[in-house]
Amino acid sequence: MFGKVLFATTATPACDNAAHVAFNIAEKYHSELLIFHVLGLPSRGFSPFVRDARTGEEEYYDQDYIQWVEEELKNTYAEQLARYPNARIMTMAGTPHTEILRLARKEDVDFIVMGAHSRQERTGALGYRQAGSNMQRVARSARCPVLIVNRPCTTCLWYFSNIIFGTDFSRASYSAFLFASKLAREIGSRLYIFHALDLSAMHAGKIFSQEEIEDQIKAAKEKIHRIYLSQMQDYDNVEMEIWEGVPYMEILKYCREKNGDLIVMAHHTREIDPEEALLGSTVEQVVLRASCPVASVNRPDKIQEQRKTR
Amino acid sequence: MTQGKLCNKRPVNTEEELHSLLADKGGKSYYEEMQDLDVDASEIASILEKTLKSRMRTWLEICTHCGLCADSCFFFLANNRDPEQVPSFKIQSTLGKLYRRKGGVDNEFMRMAMDTAWSKCTCCNRCGLYCPFGIDMGVMFSYLRGICFSQGFVPWELKIGSGMHRIYRAQMDITTEDWVDTCRWMVEEHEDEWPGLTIPIDKPDVDIMYTVNAREPKHYPEDLAEAAILFHIAGENWTVPSIGWEETSLAMFAGDWEGARLQVESVYEAMRRLNPGRMVVTECGHAYRATVIEGPYWAGLASGKTPVETFHYVEWVVEALRNGKLKIDPSRKIKEPVTYQDSCNYVRNGGLGDIAREIMGYIAEDFREMSPCREHNFCCGGGGGLNGIGRYRRERNIGLKVKRDQILATGAKLVITPCHNCWDAVRDLEEVYRIGIRWSFLKPILLSMVEIPHHLLPKE
Amino acid sequence: MYDILIGPMAWVSFGVLMMGLVIRILRYIRGLDWKLDRVAYTKNISFGVKGALRSVVLWLFPFGTRSWRDHPVFTVLVFLFHIGLLTVPVFLTAHNILLKEKWGFSLWTLSENAADGIVLLVITTGLLLVLRRVALPEVRKITDANDLTVMLLAITPFVTGYLAHHQASTYGFWLYAHIISGEILLMAIPFTKLSHFALFFMSRVQLGMDFGIKRGGMKGKGMAW
Ligand code: SF4
Ligand code: SF4
Ligand code: SF4
Repeated sequence: MFGKVLFATTATPACDNAAHVAFNIAEKYHSELLIFHVLGLPSRGFSPFVRDARTGEEEYYDQDYIQWVEEELKNTYAEQLARYPNARIMTMAGTPHTEILRLARKEDVDFIVMGAHSRQERTGALGYRQAGSNMQRVARSARCPVLIVNRPCTTCLWYFSNIIFGTDFSRASYSAFLFASKLAREIGSRLYIFHALDLSAMHAGKIFSQEEIEDQIKAAKEKIHRIYLSQMQDYDNVEMEIWEGVPYMEILKYCREKNGDLIVMAHHTREIDPEEALLGSTVEQVVLRASCPVASVNRPDKIQEQRKTR
Repeated sequence: MTQGKLCNKRPVNTEEELHSLLADKGGKSYYEEMQDLDVDASEIASILEKTLKSRMRTWLEICTHCGLCADSCFFFLANNRDPEQVPSFKIQSTLGKLYRRKGGVDNEFMRMAMDTAWSKCTCCNRCGLYCPFGIDMGVMFSYLRGICFSQGFVPWELKIGSGMHRIYRAQMDITTEDWVDTCRWMVEEHEDEWPGLTIPIDKPDVDIMYTVNAREPKHYPEDLAEAAILFHIAGENWTVPSIGWEETSLAMFAGDWEGARLQVESVYEAMRRLNPGRMVVTECGHAYRATVIEGPYWAGLASGKTPVETFHYVEWVVEALRNGKLKIDPSRKIKEPVTYQDSCNYVRNGGLGDIAREIMGYIAEDFREMSPCREHNFCCGGGGGLNGIGRYRRERNIGLKVKRDQILATGAKLVITPCHNCWDAVRDLEEVYRIGIRWSFLKPILLSMVEIPHHLLPKE
Repeated sequence: MYDILIGPMAWVSFGVLMMGLVIRILRYIRGLDWKLDRVAYTKNISFGVKGALRSVVLWLFPFGTRSWRDHPVFTVLVFLFHIGLLTVPVFLTAHNILLKEKWGFSLWTLSENAADGIVLLVITTGLLLVLRRVALPEVRKITDANDLTVMLLAITPFVTGYLAHHQASTYGFWLYAHIISGEILLMAIPFTKLSHFALFFMSRVQLGMDFGIKRGGMKGKGMAW
């Protein structure tokens, strides 16, 4: 599950916490670690300029510049690299999310770790599903789990003892469940299966009677039993809960209550309206506010045992 | 003959030469070497003798210096009506002199000619519409670029660009494997959401062969995915060639006619190999100009047409909208005021102005024309390769003012830019002048409003 | 002297004019090259003809094109100037009398007053065009001695002719000046920018074909000049 870990970094302090987790995971699982930095947006059409991702300055994309950036990366992570040298430093010019995804695919990585990345400056270019931050785009499209680390992670250095799995019963959520349950088993942690009845968006304008709500909760409970709990077999370190409200708020509250140190959820929404997406998806809201890392999992590819060979 | 190591009259043909050029930060030593580059007057004279024929000769001779072309040029307007920016002046003081002196010019003159040909003209051909004699300075500047190129006086980025075409048959270092793999990647990324989505590679005898701008696989692979999804929704039988997929031509911008020929022939070769019903090219202006309008002549095709009929993306879109292959959900049409950037290369020089209007009718509720528009639209400011040349960034940014003011006058905050160069120029103009606009190709806009046939939805 | 001027010299100048123009036109056509110009002239001739017609005809009418409309003052001046330039020499009574004497035929003629008026119009519009050259910085920048010479060549016969007609005392001098300048003008046409007398049409036809055949003519409705 962690054979090859890609740590995508902006090479700024914003990613320090993510770096910490990435190196810890690599050390624990003896992973091959790729430290990847996207130099900057290719500016001006075909020309060899890049806008440096860190400084915002325009730079010539040439060997000197690449070397300089790689040197800087080595310095930034000197301490960690000294402890865990099985790491490759790589750079590329381009749009960060595109290059991260391209590399993840090319190297067939099992796991991506990244910071929440400062919200990309909003440009006016419209694109298909182009809204949102780089993190959001990577989380949405990656074939492997993506761990997003936004805050210093104090409890989870070596293992995640309380894993919160939030579900909306989608197909992607099932992949997230596979990941969460597998991780829980491997570490021996407690798995919390959580669903929030979305009363806000889906049924706007409609007021539910208490009875209706209870019916829905009951139905959700059954689903959890049927889809998830039935898969847990002998593993009984599991709890489940269903709350109602705005999903991201509820999952955050629940996580606090349970001292969660990892949230696992799917990020797959068909966000077509860029304006809407800019307000942020559930995942993004959770990432920005949670005190623990968030793993976004949409696809089963990298979780099932046998590595897919291409 | 003094020839520089980097700056010389030899075009770039090997990766090694390319890399040493790329390693020269900003072309610093390249431009230094250019100061000492020798000019081969007799060679220029012989080029002029052989290729400057009655059309251009007449243009240069009968220009009555009436100045009607002055305010047709956006550079003239953007530079506070600077007389040095009058198209007639620009061409007479460069190509005109070169012709009258039969090539007998010095290094300094050639550098001046280079600066003029690339930083004071985007070859938008607008002036040709305003001169009573039909003197088209865009055509002549393009020709002048060829002469400059033959002597090694070409902006660094374009020397590189032309070399890329010669080596990779693409404006960027993308190999066949990179390209094919990007297609596969895009399918993988989207097939969950679009079951059955494919990007067929090298499929013979299909209806549509689709070709792109190298920037798409390199930096904006989503564009490729969007195209695939739209073809998928429209139910097209299509393919991309594994070789000959690149439409653009920095060689054309550079005046490297041989490089330009090599590039278009790779596409024509793909047409012959795959025998598609027709070709559709992506949303790019100069790519269409190069491969569809000028290309057949570079390749010596007497019909003046590509081996199979070619559609610009907008033509495909309008056809799909007309026959219902793409259906727009009326409730999702663009409601805010929106304007359209007419690309010189396929509107003024390609006759597709009406089609753009028709598309806007399908997708927008409040479409606002720029003034002037259609054939008479001003260049975005970044055409002719200017967007990509570091040496002329200042001149380019000044030129953008005309487009800025045109956009502001429409009141629209959204600009549809179905041309890579225009898209870039509009982006840069927002970056430089901050007028609070957004811009987009057609594909994402279409995807946000097209009705998806039920059988194409994923089964949850 | 007079006889030589209106006899052999007239023949010579008309001959030079005609031959010169014919040669220029032929040379123009011969110098067209579908590959170099990148226009498949002959392969797509029907589109070419359509494009060429649009390109010539629209430009022959004042305000027929956007450029004419955008520059109304210039347009009016230029059209008046050219109309005068072409009508007076052909339809002037005095010229037609000569024509009748020499070659035995004559054309419809202008009344004296009309001719006078038009001559003055040519002179004034010509001067105004020169003034414009000086006044507008963008035109001044591109103006050279050649442009002024050509203008001088064009209006001198009109000035001298007018004076010959109205200055009875120095009639002989002005008449000679008029005939000589007129013949110089005729002979200068093929060798100077005045060759646009014919090459205007060639150039417009060429660009019209260019747009009609290659640049959009087969896809759009034809260039909206
Ligand atoms: S409009 Fe034509 S004739 Fe007049 S100055 Fe410009 S190029 Fe020369
Ligand atoms: S082609 Fe365009 S940019 Fe060049 S001189 Fe003419 S109007 Fe100006
Ligand atoms: S970039 Fe666009 S507007 Fe500018 S010259 Fe090219 S096609 Fe025309």
